[in-house]
Amino acid sequence: MGLDYAAVKKEVRKRMTSETIVSLIRILVFPGAMFLFALAFFYEWVDRKFFARLQNRYGPLHTGPHGILQPLADFLKLLSKEDITPHASDRLVFALAPVFYLALPLTTLFVIPVLDPTSFIAFEGDLVFVLFAFTLIIITVFLAGWSSINRFGTIGSMRAVLQMLGYEIPMGLVAFGPAIAANSLSISRIVGWQSLNFWLILLQPLGFAIFTVCLLAELQFVPFDIPEAETEIVAGWRTEFSGRKLALLRLGKDLELVLASALIASLYLGGPQQFWLIPPIVAFLVKTTFAVMLLSLLRAVFARFRIDQMLSGLWKYLLPLATLQIILIQAGLGG
Amino acid sequence: MSHGSIIKVPFGPQHPALKEPENFLFEVDGEIVVDVKPRLGYNHRGIEKAFELRTYIQNIYLAERICGICSDAHTTCYTQAIEELLNVELPPRARYIRVIIAELERIHSHALWVGIAAHEIGFDTLFMYVWRDRETVLDLFEMISGNRIHYAMNTIGGVRRDIHAAMVPKIIKGLDFLEERLKYYLRIVQTEQTILKRTVGVGILKPKDAVNLCAVGPTLRASGIKNDVRSDDPYAAYDEIPFNVITHSGCDILSRTLVRCEEMLESIKIIRYALDSMPEGIIRVQVPKKVPQGEVVSRVEAPRGELIHYAKSNGTTKPERYKVRSPTLANIPALCKMLLGGYVADIPIVLAGIDPCFACMDRMAFVDIKQNKKWVWTMQQLRRKYAKE
Amino acid sequence: MEKENEIVEKLKDFLKENLVNVTIPKKRRIFVYIKKDALEEAMEYFVKDLKFKHLSTITGVDLGEEIEVIYHLSYKGSIMLSARLAVSKKNPNIPTITDLIPGAVLYEREVHDLLGVDFERHPDLSPLMLPEKWPKGVYPLRKEYQLKHLREITSEK
Repeated sequence: MGLDYAAVKKEVRKRMTSETIVSLIRILVFPGAMFLFALAFFYEWVDRKFFARLQNRYGPLHTGPHGILQPLADFLKLLSKEDITPHASDRLVFALAPVFYLALPLTTLFVIPVLDPTSFIAFEGDLVFVLFAFTLIIITVFLAGWSSINRFGTIGSMRAVLQMLGYEIPMGLVAFGPAIAANSLSISRIVGWQSLNFWLILLQPLGFAIFTVCLLAELQFVPFDIPEAETEIVAGWRTEFSGRKLALLRLGKDLELVLASALIASLYLGGPQQFWLIPPIVAFLVKTTFAVMLLSLLRAVFARFRIDQMLSGLWKYLLPLATLQIILIQAGLGG
Repeated sequence: MSHGSIIKVPFGPQHPALKEPENFLFEVDGEIVVDVKPRLGYNHRGIEKAFELRTYIQNIYLAERICGICSDAHTTCYTQAIEELLNVELPPRARYIRVIIAELERIHSHALWVGIAAHEIGFDTLFMYVWRDRETVLDLFEMISGNRIHYAMNTIGGVRRDIHAAMVPKIIKGLDFLEERLKYYLRIVQTEQTILKRTVGVGILKPKDAVNLCAVGPTLRASGIKNDVRSDDPYAAYDEIPFNVITHSGCDILSRTLVRCEEMLESIKIIRYALDSMPEGIIRVQVPKKVPQGEVVSRVEAPRGELIHYAKSNGTTKPERYKVRSPTLANIPALCKMLLGGYVADIPIVLAGIDPCFACMDRMAFVDIKQNKKWVWTMQQLRRKYAKE
Repeated sequence: MEKENEIVEKLKDFLKENLVNVTIPKKRRIFVYIKKDALEEAMEYFVKDLKFKHLSTITGVDLGEEIEVIYHLSYKGSIMLSARLAVSKKNPNIPTITDLIPGAVLYEREVHDLLGVDFERHPDLSPLMLPEKWPKGVYPLRKEYQLKHLREITSEK
């Protein structure tokens, strides 16, 4: 008895506000949205520059040191451009698709550990959530292309969905490899398991390779840039988008690249681990940069597949290999 | 993937796969092409009519500008037609210089094609590399003629510039570098799996169809038919130079690629031989301005195939009729045949497979827009326009 | 020149009174002038019997009252046979050769576009080179159409 209710109330309110502010800062600034946007622009630059150097070109050069600000400049320029909505298009879907395309990878990135081995939002089963988000991204792509009522857009969006049918199952299968090893469906726990044992790339190299190939397809990079094959169907599902919408689509794509590299880093490369005095965030940045460079290296050395070749190739080779990886893990190898 | 519904997909006049404006209307069932209708003529600039209005000397420069890639083939064809009408014998050195320029042009044109083809199948890295090495040829052109694209080497009665002794080692050096690189690309094309996936069995043109549809050049040779104006109907110094006519019998895009790659290597050999055995002497003879009455058919093996010019003179300083048929036009019927039944994804590479040059093809009459005052902006007008805005 | 002479002899034998004249201006070049009515018969003979399988192009020349149509055929890529005939401008009709040589489709359309020669039974004579809105009956390569007439047409919007 004798509790000072007013004091308790005040205390609770005080704590609430400070926690809310901290959470808000974490969501909006670091390691949340602002940080992720910056990272997205940075990785677009890494990808463009590295890809260009592989092709014996210079790549971005003028905006900022070594053109590092070029992606941001492109984004700002697109924001200021005229935004055209085709008359025949399904206006609501056409306007919403870019927003979803941006929001989906951004939200998903919160379940991936960045600052320390435990992610901002961690729950048992967040790996499944990530895979689900990847599927939703493709659905958004389909809606974007379909709602624009453009012949190239329609073909592109149909190709995107067909392509998804090819890589989704092998990707889902191999992604469970680390989960089986760590005995958890939470990405944070998988990262934690790796810091105590080995990096999973050493235990499941096959799974790593398959996962990388599937991510190439998810990101629509050569040799799987079929839904936006420039020389065939102009820009595919993105043909009709311009101005702000195109800017959002591009940023969304960059965030997808961050998501993909972060996923490679946390599932197979140990994620944000502490080495001696080096903070985990540095480990995270180094590993994701490596993953981005791996993805751009792969897209530089191939020609584009045809949709039928891609599908039959993935079903004929990638799916059995993915199954083999799971069987190996169950047999006690690789986890 | 058949839906039973046919959609019409226009390719061009503006499309990333086409480097020049031209329109192909495809009817597509799912991912399969069921019909194709070409619509040409977006590049008309009235060159045949313009030929009739200009003197024979002016027409050399006009012929040069029919096309930017095979500019030398057109002037060779033009000048040798007029030389035949004038009954002029070319100096031997000029004939060899014409061969050297023509073969250098073949290398640069084929290298350009390999780059474009790689781009069409999404292999941009190869595209960048080939085009980087193609610069070597353009540098050689710049050294020999002062220009990279429109070399302006041919004139009626010979060539305008000599290849001096000092240039020869530089040309040889450039050729050595190119030979090494081309062999590397040839190996890549034959071994890289994704390239093979996109080229083997794609855009089939059977030998019988190739003959019936009057295909020419590498397109015809890739269907296994030995046909090359350089050996069948020799001009310049080709009757004195030994070389092989490259054929492949795959009838697909891969064969067309291999034919072009090996032709580049063959061209290097021809240039080396020509540089070695080039006779000394004058490079041009003086010719009269008036051309006697007569008519002539002149043929040249341009990089894209048989190029044929027909000239009719009436005894004045201007031709009565001048007709140009470029190899691309000859290959269009064959192209339509190749596209039918193929995949939408294969359209760009099959289109590129004939090495289309629409500027050449659409040379014909309608009107000389350049002379139309309404359309021409002077530099001053342009500046004024932009100053206002 | 032996082969060329042999071909010319055969031509003379086959065409008889339908042959107007034939010349061999130089090695590997033959010009033959035939009568208009003998076109189909002669073409079939050239392509099937003499093996002139490749049609390089078809040229149209405005001669004033008549239009000359020249078929440039080649034998094994080497000997060029230029078979020509004249049609009157008032009634410029000649049969198509597309059933004999499918590759002639575009060349015939081109001559139709620019000189107004009508090829009977041709599958599709829609404009190939000229714009859709080009006025009917204006054939730019005919001599009566001066550059200034054509400019008037193209500058009209």
